[in-house]
Amino acid sequence: MTHEATQITSPPKPSEILLHLGPQHPLQPGPFLLDLKIEGETIREAELKIGYIHKGMEKVFEDRTYLQILPLTDRICYLASNSNNDVYCRGVEELLGIEPTDRAMYLRVITNELCRLQSHLLGIGEFTTDVGFLTMFIYMVREREGVVSLLEAITGSRLNHNYARFGGVANDLPPGYKEMALKTLGELKKQVKSHDAMLSSDSIYLRRTKGVGVLTAKEAGELGVAGPPLRAAGVEYDLRRMEPYLVYDDLDFKVITQTDGDVFARVKVRLLEMLESIYIIEQCLDQMPSGPYKQDVTPYITRPKSGEVYPRIEDPRGEMGMYIISDGSDKPYRFRIRGPAFATAQALPPLLVGTYVADVAAIAASMDSCTSEVDR
Amino acid sequence: MGIVEIYEIIMDTLVFIFATNPFSPWIRGVLGGLVIGAVFGGALVMVYLERKFLGDMQSRIGPNRVGGRFGVLQLIADAIKLFTKEDIIPAKADKWLFIGAPIVALTSGFLMVAVIPFDLLIIKGNEYAVAVSRMDISILYIEAVSGLAIFATFMAGWGSSSKYAVLAAFRNVAKMIGYEIPMGISILSVAVMAYSLDIVEIVEAQSSIWFIIAQPLGFVIFFIALLADVGRIPFDQTEAEEELVAGWATEYSGMRWGLAFFAEYLHAVVGSFIVTLIFLGGWNGLPFVGNLYIPGIFWVIAKTIIVMMLFIWIRAALPRYRIDQVIDIGWKVLIPLALLNLVWSTIIGLMWA
Repeated sequence: MTHEATQITSPPKPSEILLHLGPQHPLQPGPFLLDLKIEGETIREAELKIGYIHKGMEKVFEDRTYLQILPLTDRICYLASNSNNDVYCRGVEELLGIEPTDRAMYLRVITNELCRLQSHLLGIGEFTTDVGFLTMFIYMVREREGVVSLLEAITGSRLNHNYARFGGVANDLPPGYKEMALKTLGELKKQVKSHDAMLSSDSIYLRRTKGVGVLTAKEAGELGVAGPPLRAAGVEYDLRRMEPYLVYDDLDFKVITQTDGDVFARVKVRLLEMLESIYIIEQCLDQMPSGPYKQDVTPYITRPKSGEVYPRIEDPRGEMGMYIISDGSDKPYRFRIRGPAFATAQALPPLLVGTYVADVAAIAASMDSCTSEVDR
Repeated sequence: MGIVEIYEIIMDTLVFIFATNPFSPWIRGVLGGLVIGAVFGGALVMVYLERKFLGDMQSRIGPNRVGGRFGVLQLIADAIKLFTKEDIIPAKADKWLFIGAPIVALTSGFLMVAVIPFDLLIIKGNEYAVAVSRMDISILYIEAVSGLAIFATFMAGWGSSSKYAVLAAFRNVAKMIGYEIPMGISILSVAVMAYSLDIVEIVEAQSSIWFIIAQPLGFVIFFIALLADVGRIPFDQTEAEEELVAGWATEYSGMRWGLAFFAEYLHAVVGSFIVTLIFLGGWNGLPFVGNLYIPGIFWVIAKTIIVMMLFIWIRAALPRYRIDQVIDIGWKVLIPLALLNLVWSTIIGLMWA
């Protein structure tokens, strides 16, 4: 798999068609252009063109104060807004030399895992519509509703949460939250298990997903793909386990892996990870210490010492990192986002070569890419 | 006066008209209009059921605003919307093919309706089928006319000069060629057992035992082939939204799209009627009702609605096959099984006779 293989080099022969999937197509979560050179139903060459919703976020961030950047990090990808807040706050905290309070760390873990739950639910839902299984999508959205309500109860908003702060979080848990969360999560656990059983036993679903779009561990490593696609290929790579941040050290969870690296394995990893996330949240709710949820003095005007940091966390889709250089002023000197979706997006075209047109939907959706984050 | 009496009066009147002059073109015309209206209504019922029943299965509400709590007028609102939308014909389209495609699709559906019998009335020893036209080879005629629908798909796919549409048309042709054969063979098996190609006689042959019990394999093959023929999940590759946008109807808008959409439902309804008539005993009632008089037309319609519900249930429960898998199933599984079923039905049919 080389980079050249992902570009269409010659015009189509008389037996071939150049099919433009996009920039607007029902398959896509956001605008991108996927050019396919097809012969009959078989894809001969594929090329991905991105940049349709480039927002210039990294440059914008260099012109904002540290606190002003915080709500903008939500908008990198709305399904991972909590993770983005968190990774940014960890960077600034490292620059400032402060630590979040103990309770705040647990609260951040809870919101991060809830964020992972709702992202995986929507990801699997979109995938199942793309193989023509609309019912499962609606079940997933129904389940997601409960998770989003749990997030809303903590953060006050349903999509762009803006919850983490430097040295803490925005607010504490509302009263009676634990009972509410345990009830919703218990129900969710049952539903996820039943959906997993359904998807693992449906013969049409298995025919559509088994052995399709195999991304091996080596290829994933070369392309920088992390998260569920890499774990589906059998690599036990999870930053929560490898570089424990927040309080993941104290929590018990399994790193889910599958061996095949195909579409089925990627979806299976997400399904099983949801069960682990539920387990993590239950532990957090039990173990959470009382105490302040933020630092006594919140530094509103932040002037960190000059230096550079690269915090990274396990996003729902993979490895999210932000490289921040400070020159001692109230704005970052340089800001660079290393998003997980960019890597998964560039892995897509080589996987498509040699497959059928119908597999484009299955493979693209199983990577669970996010155009907003790819373009930033 | 109960419903049964009203029905009897209507039927008596019809019988009188039939008995006096069964071949009058006026009577045929009126009856044809009624039947076409009924099947048209049936397609509307199917669209409504699809939305409401599917909504229930997917734990959502479905239409619930227009026409009260159950959204019964939603279809009319949709029709008004479709009629008032702009009618766009792409600049590069082959205009006549583009315009003709939905008309051909609907025509093929309505031509099938012509031979569908709803009941068999026996007056003074003479048999009168409640159908627009009674043919000796009506099941063969239906099979032939339903094949016309493929021209509509291909006209639309070729005429709209869109890559998605043409891919969908290719898929549809490949699928139809693969599935018309097992469908035809299972119809033959039924004909062998009934000793006739006339639907009325096929139904009459089921008065003792329904063909779904006499040849269950044939029913399964016919039903799967029918699903593929009318293009419903898991065989809706021709309009797979995530792959080909709206398939062969991608470039259509407004009422032209409405007609194409409606033609599909019409085919599904007629398909349900055929399943009812040739496998589920048609107007032969269930044994447990005893001597209670239930009009045959009631049985036909009730069974048809059950078959439609089965279509919708399958749509809710299954994902979509890939097109190469569909073709594989058609040629490698269904055709050998259909031949096996033909042998079975020949042996059983001979023993029965």
